[in-house]
Amino acid sequence: MNRRTFWWFTIPSVIVMLALMVFPLITTVWLGFQKLLLRDLNNPEWVGWDNYRDVLSDPEFWAAVQFTLVFVVVTVPASMIFGLAVALLLDRIGRGRAVYMAALLLPFIVTPVVGTLIYEDLFERGGLVSWLWEVFTDDAFAVSASNVKVLIVVQYIWYVMPFAMITFFAGLQTLPEERVEAAALDGAGFWRNLWHVTLPHLRLLVVFVGLISVMDAYRVYDSVFVWTGNRFTEAHTLAVYNVRIATAFDIGRLGKGNAIAVLTVIGIFVVLIPFLWRSYRDQIAERT
Amino acid sequence: MKLSRPSIRPSRIALHAVMILLVVWSVTPFVWTAQTSIKFTRDVASKTPVLWGYETTANAYRNFWLDSDDVNMWGVLAFLLVVAAVAAALGLIGRRARHGWPWFLGATAVICVALWRFPRFWEANDEYDFLVNSVVVTLLTMLISLSIGLLAGYGLARYTGISGAVILIVALGFRALPRTAFVLPYFFGAKEIDEWLTSTGVGSWNFPLIDFPGIDTLQVLDTRLAIVLALVAVNQPFTIWMLRSFFIEVPKEMEEAAMMDGATRLQAFRKVIIPIMWPAIIATGLFTMLLAYNEYLFVRVLAPTEWTLPVAIVSLTGGESSRTITEAAAASVSITLPIVIVIILFQKHLVRGLGAGAVKG
Repeated sequence: MNRRTFWWFTIPSVIVMLALMVFPLITTVWLGFQKLLLRDLNNPEWVGWDNYRDVLSDPEFWAAVQFTLVFVVVTVPASMIFGLAVALLLDRIGRGRAVYMAALLLPFIVTPVVGTLIYEDLFERGGLVSWLWEVFTDDAFAVSASNVKVLIVVQYIWYVMPFAMITFFAGLQTLPEERVEAAALDGAGFWRNLWHVTLPHLRLLVVFVGLISVMDAYRVYDSVFVWTGNRFTEAHTLAVYNVRIATAFDIGRLGKGNAIAVLTVIGIFVVLIPFLWRSYRDQIAERT
Repeated sequence: MKLSRPSIRPSRIALHAVMILLVVWSVTPFVWTAQTSIKFTRDVASKTPVLWGYETTANAYRNFWLDSDDVNMWGVLAFLLVVAAVAAALGLIGRRARHGWPWFLGATAVICVALWRFPRFWEANDEYDFLVNSVVVTLLTMLISLSIGLLAGYGLARYTGISGAVILIVALGFRALPRTAFVLPYFFGAKEIDEWLTSTGVGSWNFPLIDFPGIDTLQVLDTRLAIVLALVAVNQPFTIWMLRSFFIEVPKEMEEAAMMDGATRLQAFRKVIIPIMWPAIIATGLFTMLLAYNEYLFVRVLAPTEWTLPVAIVSLTGGESSRTITEAAAASVSITLPIVIVIILFQKHLVRGLGAGAVKG
């Protein structure tokens, strides 16, 4: 395909991304240097690095950074290992696989805010878990500042595990049976087989799922927002903290909000750039 | 069928027992919500849950969706079942037919017409408008996203220059960006456009084609258009990567043969490539559908009144609302059922799409 034809095919998508991603991103950076309040949108005032100073000296920002990192570091490996285990089990199922898969997929396809609401309901007064808790411990269960972080993490793993499961399952379907059988003949047990045959086959998928999971966990908003709302501010992730600062009742500080957004973007790119560079090299190599 | 994997060979019963435990872990919240939605408030409010032998009612569903208190919900259920049966019949024929898409289009049309006519039979609440918004936003996002995504995905799969690689990598970077980096510029952009439209008077022109009932001025903020544009943009990186990985699998010889016969590149693309791309289109479409139907933050900020269902449900459970817990449960079931049905119907495409899309990516 020559260059001209290529651009004719690609230009609509490129225009959308330029107009609705590149341009807004520049606006975000620019707004980060303004003093801009929600109740007075028409009078932005240039304040230089003030917003950044404000953010970096805000203990709530560092709390959000800390919880976001913990959140990523716990949920990503947990959901991937859990997902791989379920995919391996699912792969052994003959009859009834479609039914199991549909049931296991449910948490992933349900609207995240709704999924979180119904999960939370189990822990509210009169909910199943809260009732069982009371039966066994004689104490009333309540969502509180001390347990909400754990609940957020568990519920997120519940929500996101099916993604890893279904992707790894799809990968297992392309694993040639001869390889597994050959390894078994050589006396490889389950773990050696997993380590030397199955995982190498799934290598690209593991990278893919890991990358997507890190991106999504890092910017999580919906489920954390539903769990915490404006209470439990110590369990806010970066995105939730960001929206709270920008829209806080009456005093929404949009300039500061944008500064947080810029810092969030820088944060993910510190992690991503080596990976992006490698993919770029792969792309170039693939082309020549 | 890979039933006889070597080593650890759990008996079938143990395997199924573990699977059932996993299913319990994953569906308990859904079952709990479903049974809450058909209870009377008095049974739900008790501290010890009433698990068995309670009286069932469709009150919560009636209160959430309908205006009047004395509607027979069996009639509504019958209407929904008839619509579902007709759509399912059309879909089944489409599966067997050589060219399935006119039948699938027909099934979609039946559902849309039913959705449009429903308020003529039963007086519906505001929530019904949010359902319509959800459906319109989802369908439009899928349509626009896939149209431009297919063109770009094809171009990126076939072109070997550097600019193609640069676009792909930049798009991958965009996939990582949080919503918060975009939502305020979108809001301000929409506001600027609206101010320009008002100041030039363009906003009050009468455009017969976009003259939706209830909208008498042309605007961007607080419309479905704003939500659709935002969703198309943030979904574009994923769409082009996924579609490109499918196009790479298609041998070049296919369109080259057609072009030898005198077809242009675009004709070859439309007549030769697209017809074999349906599995890819369905798989990518499913992910786009999930993204659009489930969106919360963009809708909240860009459409203060033209909500879609997720925002409606979250605001319903907030403190300012007097709605009961059963209604929230009924709303959750109502928003979940359509998506579950679609995913169950197309489950195979979803699995295959992830396999194909990911192995390359």
